[in-house]
Amino acid sequence: MNSYFLLDGLNIFFTLILFFVTAAVTIYQGKKDFKYYIIFLLFVLSMLGAMWSNHLGLTWVFVEATTLTSAYLILKHNDKNSLEATWKYVFLCSIGISLAFVGIILLLIASEGVNSLFFTDLYRNAHLINPFWLKLSFIFTLIGFGTKVGLAPVHSWLPDAHAEAPSPISAMLSATLLNSAFLVIIRLNKLMQFAGVGESAKKLMLIMGFLSLFVTAVYLFRIANYKRMLAYSSIENMGIITIGVAFGGFGTVAAAIHLAAHSLIKSSFFLTSGSVLKLYNTKEIAEVHGIIERDKLTGWLWVICGALIVAIPPSPLFISELLIILQMFINKHFWLLALFTILLTVIMYGIIRAVIKTAFGKDLTPPETKIKLGVTKYLPQIILIGITVLLGLYCPQEIWTLIIGAAIWM
Amino acid sequence: MINLLIVLFGVTMLYMASSSRIMAQINMLKIQGVLLCLITLISHSEANILGVLFLLAETFAAKAVLIPWFLTKVAVKNNIKRDSNPQFPNFYTLVIATFILFAGFLIASIHSDYLVNISNMYFGISIATIITSFLFIAIKKKLITHIIGFAMLENGIFLLSLSVAKEMPWIVNIGVLLDVFIAVFILGLLVGEIGSIYENPEVGQLCNLKDFEGEEHE
Repeated sequence: MNSYFLLDGLNIFFTLILFFVTAAVTIYQGKKDFKYYIIFLLFVLSMLGAMWSNHLGLTWVFVEATTLTSAYLILKHNDKNSLEATWKYVFLCSIGISLAFVGIILLLIASEGVNSLFFTDLYRNAHLINPFWLKLSFIFTLIGFGTKVGLAPVHSWLPDAHAEAPSPISAMLSATLLNSAFLVIIRLNKLMQFAGVGESAKKLMLIMGFLSLFVTAVYLFRIANYKRMLAYSSIENMGIITIGVAFGGFGTVAAAIHLAAHSLIKSSFFLTSGSVLKLYNTKEIAEVHGIIERDKLTGWLWVICGALIVAIPPSPLFISELLIILQMFINKHFWLLALFTILLTVIMYGIIRAVIKTAFGKDLTPPETKIKLGVTKYLPQIILIGITVLLGLYCPQEIWTLIIGAAIWM
Repeated sequence: MINLLIVLFGVTMLYMASSSRIMAQINMLKIQGVLLCLITLISHSEANILGVLFLLAETFAAKAVLIPWFLTKVAVKNNIKRDSNPQFPNFYTLVIATFILFAGFLIASIHSDYLVNISNMYFGISIATIITSFLFIAIKKKLITHIIGFAMLENGIFLLSLSVAKEMPWIVNIGVLLDVFIAVFILGLLVGEIGSIYENPEVGQLCNLKDFEGEEHE
């Protein structure tokens, strides 16, 4: 008898990330109304359900539930723009997830001999699965769950929703929601490997991964809105993780490191963007000058997050990107390696330029009364960044065990 | 008998593709819901009677009653009667949908080694419905017709899930139907909210969010 929920090396890793980010976001957002917190908890619960579920059908139910519960949280401002963002988010993700369901039905057709959608059964009997239908099913599930992960070319909801949601929710969307949908792609990729058609999965994932990097590079080059910049950076990082998983070997270790570090850094970056928004009341990069002069701590948090997200050491992202490059070198994919480094450099330029432009220099429009931010607007980011930098400098044996434990399942 | 019901399902899809009246489309959704219920009733061979009854009741409640009722409410409240200026004339849509349905029948008549585990008729028509619903969403302008397109897509996927000899556990079926219903519910509420800003909510109006300054959208 199979259990509907199961903990393994992979989802424990994801759950820990979810725990840290949720704790930080909860401290940051402080007091809210009762209804908000109920829906916030339902959102977290649905992500947990998606991560822990051992049944593909049930995972689908929980992933769709994450869309529905987070819709209210994105709509919090209830203005023209957040309505547009919420509509696009719910509609596009629901359509995407419907396609994933088509993929699940195709998997049912493929797994005639297995007669089960429990991951444990599917893995055990992978050799009985019909490769033709499995490949067809993977295309649908990759596009479907990929919509939710924000992989190009099905990413268009992501910049709108991340930019228009309140900053703590943007942090949750970017650092936890994308992961919970990506977990399903990892599990299905593993199934493809067990069934002996891993090469097809690899090709598809590489296409989507590199497309994500390309889209980010194009848009970040002259981005005007700093929250959209962070959103595009999420697309980029999910793309990098997809590339890591697709390559396998060192790539999976890199993907695990990248996943954790991106979640911690990006959530603190989004939370800091909330403070910047509070200080300047605008999301336009052109209208924000001298954050450090206006609020020293927020300014430096902004700069550090910017430096860490573009993988400047001691960011763990530096190690993960290096490992992916190493794996490409081992696999002799030199053209892809060149493309990877060029795209990353363009993205790095885009982000660093925006961060320097907004953080340093003179505050051109100082407010009449100085806005003071409470300690909860700094503390969560400091803790998250502290953990990330420490892990970048020194990784204890226990954390390595967790990372390797997750990488084995990728 | 089952083939007749499935063909009827295909015909409702053609009618939906060609009609511009919102109420006619919602009525077709109701008919699709009832047809899906009948197909489930006839085709189910599961020993678990209670599970089948529960699934039937839920399919009927969600697909034939609740979703059409809610969409009617949204249409009446926002005074939306027809999607009068689709991006594409209705006649052409009907022609394309007919071709898609024809292709569905062609798929249904294929006898291949790959198609041993599924019922061909279900498979062909459901694929045709899914493709037509994408066409429907792409060419219609009103937000509410997009939700109707989404409901039609879900009906197509439901038919596809019936094409597989094996069934999902009932807990998954319930979850899926619940999710679909809530998605339609939230989208309906959003139409109401957007309707309070724009007089006649259309997709073309939802283009405020963009990446570059000075970028123009049609």
